[in-house]
Amino acid sequence: MSDQAYAVDVEAVSKSFGSFKALNGATLRVRKGEIYGLLGPNGAGKTTLIRLIVGLLRAQAGTVTVLGQHMPNVSILRRVGYMTQQAALYPTLSVEENVRFFAAINGAAKGVDDAIDLVQLDEKRKAVVSTLSGGMRQRCSLACALVHHPDLLLLDEPTVGIDPQLRVQFWDDFRRMAEGGTTLIVSSHVMDEADRCQRLGLIQYGRMIEEGTPAEIRSKAGTHNLEEAFLKLAGRGEA
Amino acid sequence: MSGRRVAAITRRLLEGFRRDRRTLALLFVAPLIILGLLGYLMRGSSTAPAVGIDNQDSGPVGSTVAAALGQSSLIRTSAISASDGDSRLKDGSLAAYIVLPSDFSQQAQSGTIAPQVHLEGSQPGVDGPVLQALQQALIKLASQAPGRGVNFDPQVTRLYGGKSYDTLDYFGAAFIGLVVFFLVFVITIVAFLNERSQGTLERLMASPLRRAEIMLGYMIGFTVIALVQSVEVLVFALAVLKIHNAGNVFVIFGVEALMAVVAVNLGIFLSMFARTEFQAVQFIPLAIVPQVLLSGIIFPVSSEPKALQYLSDVLPLTYAVNGMRDIMVKGADFTWSSLQLDTGVVAVFAILLIAAGTATLRRRVA
Repeated sequence: MSDQAYAVDVEAVSKSFGSFKALNGATLRVRKGEIYGLLGPNGAGKTTLIRLIVGLLRAQAGTVTVLGQHMPNVSILRRVGYMTQQAALYPTLSVEENVRFFAAINGAAKGVDDAIDLVQLDEKRKAVVSTLSGGMRQRCSLACALVHHPDLLLLDEPTVGIDPQLRVQFWDDFRRMAEGGTTLIVSSHVMDEADRCQRLGLIQYGRMIEEGTPAEIRSKAGTHNLEEAFLKLAGRGEA
Repeated sequence: MSGRRVAAITRRLLEGFRRDRRTLALLFVAPLIILGLLGYLMRGSSTAPAVGIDNQDSGPVGSTVAAALGQSSLIRTSAISASDGDSRLKDGSLAAYIVLPSDFSQQAQSGTIAPQVHLEGSQPGVDGPVLQALQQALIKLASQAPGRGVNFDPQVTRLYGGKSYDTLDYFGAAFIGLVVFFLVFVITIVAFLNERSQGTLERLMASPLRRAEIMLGYMIGFTVIALVQSVEVLVFALAVLKIHNAGNVFVIFGVEALMAVVAVNLGIFLSMFARTEFQAVQFIPLAIVPQVLLSGIIFPVSSEPKALQYLSDVLPLTYAVNGMRDIMVKGADFTWSSLQLDTGVVAVFAILLIAAGTATLRRRVA
């Protein structure tokens, strides 16, 4: 099976909300065990694409295959982790209670301590989420997304609103997970993060306008700077 | 104090309202609906209580009193046989029946007349008109036989309740159910709205959880809270307020659990139509107050204008209130067909709302 080489295989999907075409024939193939960066300006369709991959939306055209299963498929979600843009947590529960809840609904009994350790919230495990800072909530949210050791982890703008120090730490965590065999899809509109991904997809107006390693993207655009490369390639797509 | 800064706040508020159509509707439409309903209920209630008359007296006094009762606008009379009386009270087709005994005319000669008044007893509001109509009939009789003093000594018996039974006993049974229904509805709608707005529902939907599992989890959680609350309310009502209870406490819990399930699912269903907690609270005057007015808690459904009775008949709270009263006032248990009907209808509402709530879970994410 050739598609088994891909953790995620999205073929020419379209999705409209009323008259707004959020995705217009977008294609995305993510190999197993890689960190894939989904880049694009706000409103380009990054979140819609991620929500299609986790089965929260149904495509009007095209197919979505995740870990060999056509989506939407509830049972495959056991092997998928999803961190939403906002830190979606229960504010009146503690860090530990939140992580334990998300472990339980994903069918994982163990792993709560490991997940809390990984995001370095051990000292705050008894703290109620509503008392935490934004960065700590983001870390707790990450712990909830990875507590069941998913094979595929989808992170929708995980580093928005967190300080540079924590951002570096997050990317270290991501790399360690990828080395452990987890496939990661990280959406962002911050270009300096893109260099940390193995492969990038540039999305604009609901279409994939360019795909490749950071080096390939740079050489295609003929610049040394990813931000410039993106602007150049995006400008071409618009024309 | 700067007038301009004060004006800025006032203006900002009014500008916000202009775009919040729903709040505008609440402010200007809801009062008319509630007051209109209340006015229609109180003024339009034309249905006088049904009273059966059995005139066993062969003398003139009995027929005079029976005729006077028949002309009274306070009650609707019909001739019955006293042997059917109690069963007609039980099936609800009569609110009371009056027996004028065979020695009624002789009693009038001796100076004290004692008509027998049999009241259904569970509705304190009905007893008044019946006794008042009788009193008026007897005054009419006295005016036709002037000179001789006649004492009235009506023999009043009640099928339910008894002498110490009062308004609180009547309302208490219904309010015990209402308190649970109302509070469980409010906490569910707010909890589920938070689930949507804080993004956790999206996370649940992206997990292997099935919608039925979410619904069932919510139902069990809030039903447990509702039952703990019921224990507290019931202990307070029975031990402190000494509200009349002829029924089994476990039957009361059964009905309360069913009401909690209806309230939870109504909350989940309506949470779909609200975007903020503020909007959720707005459902109280629109979804709860009319139900309270029409469910028979305050005004008996049988005395409502006909058009409103149809509306009352399709509200779950009507059946729940009726069931609670049957248990606490009349001592009903699940062998009574009236309680089977009431709980059956509430159960059907619960199933419909579970289906509606589950459907809304799908719609928001698809």
